[in-house]
Amino acid sequence: MAQRVVKPRTNLGPGFWPVTAFIVVISAIMAYFTLTSPWPIGLVPAGEPAPATDALFRFLGAVGGAIFNIVTIYTIYFGIVFAKPKNAGPNDIGVQIHDAPVLEFWWTAIPTILIVVLAIYSTKIWLDIQNTQGDVLTVEAISYQYGYQFRYPNLAQPVSGEMHLPLNTPTTIHVTSRDVIHGFWIPEMRIKADMVPGLINTLRVTPTVAGRYPIICTEFCGVGHGAMKTMLVVQSQQDFSKWFAQQGGAQSTGSGGGGIPLASGSVAAGTALFGQKCSACHSTGPFTQKIVGPGLGQIFNDPAHAKLVNGTDPTTQDVANLIKNGYQGDIGTMPSAAMNAISNKDIANLVAYLASLSKK
Amino acid sequence: MATLAPGVKTGPYHAVLDHIHPEPTSFIRKYIFSIDHKVIGYQYMITGGLFFLIAGLLAELIRTQLLSPNGAIVTAATYNQIYSMHGSAMIWMVIIPLVTGGFGNFVMPLQIGARDVAFPWLNLAAFWMFPVAGIILFASFLWGAPDAGWTEYPPVSLQGPPGTSMWCAAIFLIGISSTLTGINFIVTIYKMRAPGMTLTRMPLFVWGQFGTAGLSFIATTALAGALLALFLERTFGVPFYDPKHGGSPILWQHMFWFYSHPAVYIMILPVFGIISEVLPTFSRKPVFGYKMIAFSTVAIALLGFSVWAHHMFTSGMVPWLQLPFMIITMVIAVPTGIKIFSWMATLWGGSIHWTTPMLFATGFLITFTCGGLTGFFLAAVPLDYHEHGTYFVVAHLHYVLYGGSVMGLFAGIYYWWPKMTGRMYNEVLGYWHFWLTFIAFNGTFMPMHWLGLLGMPRRVALYDPQFQFWNVFATISSYVLAGSMLIFIYNFAMSFRTGKVAGPNPWGARTLEWMISSPPPYYNYKKIPAVLATPYDFGNPLPYIGLEAAAGAEEATPTAESHPVPTY
Repeated sequence: MAQRVVKPRTNLGPGFWPVTAFIVVISAIMAYFTLTSPWPIGLVPAGEPAPATDALFRFLGAVGGAIFNIVTIYTIYFGIVFAKPKNAGPNDIGVQIHDAPVLEFWWTAIPTILIVVLAIYSTKIWLDIQNTQGDVLTVEAISYQYGYQFRYPNLAQPVSGEMHLPLNTPTTIHVTSRDVIHGFWIPEMRIKADMVPGLINTLRVTPTVAGRYPIICTEFCGVGHGAMKTMLVVQSQQDFSKWFAQQGGAQSTGSGGGGIPLASGSVAAGTALFGQKCSACHSTGPFTQKIVGPGLGQIFNDPAHAKLVNGTDPTTQDVANLIKNGYQGDIGTMPSAAMNAISNKDIANLVAYLASLSKK
Repeated sequence: MATLAPGVKTGPYHAVLDHIHPEPTSFIRKYIFSIDHKVIGYQYMITGGLFFLIAGLLAELIRTQLLSPNGAIVTAATYNQIYSMHGSAMIWMVIIPLVTGGFGNFVMPLQIGARDVAFPWLNLAAFWMFPVAGIILFASFLWGAPDAGWTEYPPVSLQGPPGTSMWCAAIFLIGISSTLTGINFIVTIYKMRAPGMTLTRMPLFVWGQFGTAGLSFIATTALAGALLALFLERTFGVPFYDPKHGGSPILWQHMFWFYSHPAVYIMILPVFGIISEVLPTFSRKPVFGYKMIAFSTVAIALLGFSVWAHHMFTSGMVPWLQLPFMIITMVIAVPTGIKIFSWMATLWGGSIHWTTPMLFATGFLITFTCGGLTGFFLAAVPLDYHEHGTYFVVAHLHYVLYGGSVMGLFAGIYYWWPKMTGRMYNEVLGYWHFWLTFIAFNGTFMPMHWLGLLGMPRRVALYDPQFQFWNVFATISSYVLAGSMLIFIYNFAMSFRTGKVAGPNPWGARTLEWMISSPPPYYNYKKIPAVLATPYDFGNPLPYIGLEAAAGAEEATPTAESHPVPTY
């Protein structure tokens, strides 16, 4: 058999460096426009944490665009300049090169470094989002087939229809569902959580731009899924208070549940209610005697309880607020009074009962 | 030993190779219940191709519905069934059976120089589960098809129509089939390679099948458990998933994605193999960085097991757990990048023959890279909070599964069509097919990226009017995409009638399957060849000895440094 002629090739190919320069320039231009874009994904950032998310999007867009250019433009370029010449014989072959360890090292090392950078940067943004301030106002969003209800502190009845939030107020939104899994997405805030029955997920947001923004279901939930959306109304504190008053609530976006009347609490009624609503998770023993949550027998004089309420000894009002708003933290999750179907009157009874336990 | 080349060491297994079973003569044993891996490969491809057409028509129904913001043709209930069946069928009844059962069965034993797979009867059983599962799945339309997407998250899937239970049964069955094929291929590749074909002399397509077989074999069991539990809950009310009765809906998501993320690699690793065959053949170059491509296949298969929860960043798992899943997901880009760069380097300095399979393979490079990059946008947890459950995900997964798996499958079909049928197709029609597919594919799925980012959730029968323009654009592109399929079908139908006879090796390729006649004889290799080197050295004589002379194959003479090493 005739030995095939191996094509000699001393350079990288005709026009390799101009093409490389073109890739660099076009990637730099694309990166410039991506990095300086005020709305990189095309939506106004209407509150925390949207700016942080957008910053990550810009960075990824610039890097991803460059990688896309490298792969696409070189592939097309190689395809054109290394196409088999028309006059080439049937035995024409390419450069018989098997590998180039230096090249392979760099195209392993550079992506690895990029990924380390990206992972660190994503983690930083993720920490920012996890640490977004909330809790000045706490709202519960509860979904059903096919709609949303919102529970505000101090409102006896949940609000159906639109969700209202005051401007510049760090807000915690606890989301859950009554039936199947739904989604809770506010595109302009870049936040989303699944609303899972039996589970409370937490979102934190601080609206910074007044306006009306869609709240959209993003988990398939049945025939009504496509139409399952409502609006978030972000308004000034005054407008919010006005709206809140119309819903029948005293305006208090402070600690939530500020004024539960406790004077009329009945120990007997509380005892009965504790058996129905609380004893599945709480014993009446000391703090350490856990069922699901801690034992509540010494709640007013056990130092272990103090950390639930800002490091000071709990007051009856603190405990009332905790029952009202629920708890989610390092010792577990407790549903709110609304989810437990406990009225303010019930709370007063429960607090009276718990106080009677602690006195023993 | 008479059939082996002199000087080749063999194991006890080869003592029986002198004996070739006669080909069955009855129609049923020859074409219906055949145990010949090639016939089973054809059967997979025909069945999978039919299901591809049905699932493709469902896709066109989806796009037609979305011509109007209020739904153009069907009710939301019907729409939900259509898209759920489209996804389920495309993944389980089309891509997975085609890449493993179809191409794996036909090509892999030929490439390793074997006469069949290790367990031909198991292969027969695995194949026949496939059409049965497909029929059960599509028959569910009669009772109300599953409507909660291909993921069928409970509790909403517990409320689904009766067909949802049939869906469980169908996917369970195809899962068994996939597991059996996985076991079969692992044993075949590990034990039945021709003498001298060490692991690092295997064609890269075989590496792809090896990785996929491992994934199918291990991951599918998790899906089987999840499906069984869903079936029991739907049928007998055993409360696995419904929180009203103490179940956990998140449990399903973990079990489902523990399978379904590796399933992404089940669908793509064999396609990586196809690309790794097509590019060197038509560049007339050794594949660049053979070992790196092979090892990155294994790396992807292993890493693929530890990223499943990146589908669940918004589901409500412990927050800090999101970080390791994000980081491992990003790390998968390293072996994938190694492959992409190695393929580009394979093009460099080649003598590139622009045939249709080559066009599809390079088109794959571009569209798959795009899908991989959007994968990064989804892996970064803060961005996933925005993108999860939107059309951005739909765009991403179609870039990976259509721009990746299906483009690669087309490359494979055009590439091995002469080997499978003995005839050539029409190259001009092939070009038309490629360019229409490539342009219409991007026209269909590219707009979905910004539709999702701007606020269009997935799985909706209705959408906001401001999204109509790009939805209409995508729909019209999808009609062109469907039209390009007609060219493909016409091309191959005509190939049977008027196609030029291909001969054993029309491409000048160097892997073993091209060393025998097209289509291959019943027994594949009358003599089991011995292998001296990797198959991609176009500058060297063919690295095989002991082959019957076919198609001007130049035989190598064994030298001291290329002495064959037995593989067992």
